[in-house]
Amino acid sequence: MSLATPLLVLLALLRTPLFVVIALAAMLGFAQIDVDLSVVGIEIYRLAEMPVMIAIPLFTFAGYLLGEGRASARLVDLTQSLLGWLPGGLAIVAIFVCALFTAFTGATGITIVALGGLLYPALKQAGYLERFNLGLLTSAGSLGLLFAPSLPLILYGVVAQQMDLDEPVAITDLFLAGILPGLLMLAMLSAYAMLQLCEAAPGQAGPRAAFDARAARAALLAAKWDIPLPFIVLGGIYGGYFAISEAAAVTAIYVFVVEMLIIRDIGFRRLPAIMRDAMVLVGGIVVILGVSLASTNYLIDAEIPSRLFATIQQHIDDRLTFLILLNIFLLVLGMMLDIFSAIVIIVPIILPIAAGYGIHPVHLGIIILANLQLGYITPPVGMSLFIASYRFDKPIMTLYRATIPFFVILLIAVLIITYWPTLSLGLVGG
Amino acid sequence: MRAWIKLLHRVEDSLLAGLLGAMILLAGLQILLRNFFDAGLLWVDPLLRILVLWLGLLGAAVATRHDRHIRIDLLSRHLGARAERWLSAVVDQISGWTCLAVAWFSLRWVRLDYADGLTAFGAVPAWLVEAIVPVAFALIGLRFLLRPLTRALVGRGAGDTGSEA
Repeated sequence: MSLATPLLVLLALLRTPLFVVIALAAMLGFAQIDVDLSVVGIEIYRLAEMPVMIAIPLFTFAGYLLGEGRASARLVDLTQSLLGWLPGGLAIVAIFVCALFTAFTGATGITIVALGGLLYPALKQAGYLERFNLGLLTSAGSLGLLFAPSLPLILYGVVAQQMDLDEPVAITDLFLAGILPGLLMLAMLSAYAMLQLCEAAPGQAGPRAAFDARAARAALLAAKWDIPLPFIVLGGIYGGYFAISEAAAVTAIYVFVVEMLIIRDIGFRRLPAIMRDAMVLVGGIVVILGVSLASTNYLIDAEIPSRLFATIQQHIDDRLTFLILLNIFLLVLGMMLDIFSAIVIIVPIILPIAAGYGIHPVHLGIIILANLQLGYITPPVGMSLFIASYRFDKPIMTLYRATIPFFVILLIAVLIITYWPTLSLGLVGG
Repeated sequence: MRAWIKLLHRVEDSLLAGLLGAMILLAGLQILLRNFFDAGLLWVDPLLRILVLWLGLLGAAVATRHDRHIRIDLLSRHLGARAERWLSAVVDQISGWTCLAVAWFSLRWVRLDYADGLTAFGAVPAWLVEAIVPVAFALIGLRFLLRPLTRALVGRGAGDTGSEA
């Protein structure tokens, strides 16, 4: 392992698919401790022993259907007509709509692609500065990761459950823990949006729309089939009526019926391609998770996390220093790795170490996700920056500059989330 | 040859759509039974979990076809087109042989379970549901190894109708 590690890192940096790198690492590791390599197949097969996994293809499919149809447009219309009269209304609408959309579609760049095109011209028309609009929509692309039923949250739970901890990590606990930290991020960005308005249009209350009851009614009517969805899913999960896999099935069926049979946004001819695209994404995640079950098993067998902990403990003896280093590490990692592979690769290593410093595994999950979310907009290579550059057809340097204030605000939020465990754990186990 | 590849692609796509459809229907059925009839079919839950494995691995095979696997994309932006072509050729070979190794070792495990006559659930033999692991990894591995060939045969955009996301 020690000799092979730099080689594996090099392979990963040279664009080798990550599942290949992890599979190689697992096989090399097992070969070194004389374990029969058939174990790799057995470990991959363990994917079929986790009931929560059912949620992953179902939520992804529902997310792709939502992204494909005009649900995003209806959502924007609705919230704009209901909240547009507030100071900073449209920007706040954008923040909340993007967060909701990301929670339901997973942070796969769909939000920027599907909502950016609608919100960008609307924000411009409302008189916001271009730099603000670009920064807002770029950072909104990964907002909402902390809310149920986001895939990264579920994936963290799945990986953590493989770790045999003293305190098991229930995914429903993660869903509860994400609420306040997620709202903190939304509130801080909304406050910034309100201030922004005064700067953009000095001397006036800003370009806020008058409340139009008729438009609001029309938007409500148009979205009457979309509105129940979050209530059914979130109410079902938080109320304890559904298991997560059941909530995913209900979501998939509901979205399918609404989009394809009632509203008929999407033609049936496009269905096979949508299904395939969704399953390609699922395949990319599942194959990484599968081989990482093998590599995680090796790590535990070889007692690597506990040895790492012993080494680290010699240099860092307090929790605060550990958390600061963790923040920096996760920020860099989140910039380079997409969130799914980042979770699968680092959680098995970091979780036992963090437990050694007395960090609750549920809190750690929220710290990791909040950090990785920030990684999406961390220059120079955060993924959302490139998606936004492509979507809005702007040079990447423009996006770096536009995103900086949002990065700073979210960084402060991430630090608060990291150093104030109660914010995450307050709602859990009450 | 080209026709065979097209056929394989069609089979994969139909399997993906079919399995996903089956999964949605079965999961829905189970929820209905559980909530309204206070009953449930015993074989549905294990079957659903196995469907996830099949969907995921087949999805990974199709992801290989579209070159959509998750990877770190740091250096390629700074490389020239030629260097990048060379690099991907080397990386494809490494990936291909790694996947074939996974397929080979999983096959050994599947054959052991076959010899032992294990069952997965009900009367369904374990080897049948496990077989997707070696099959999918062999397919993925071959796809990596033969990429230069298929590119020449079917053209660069072979089957690449997937939307950008």
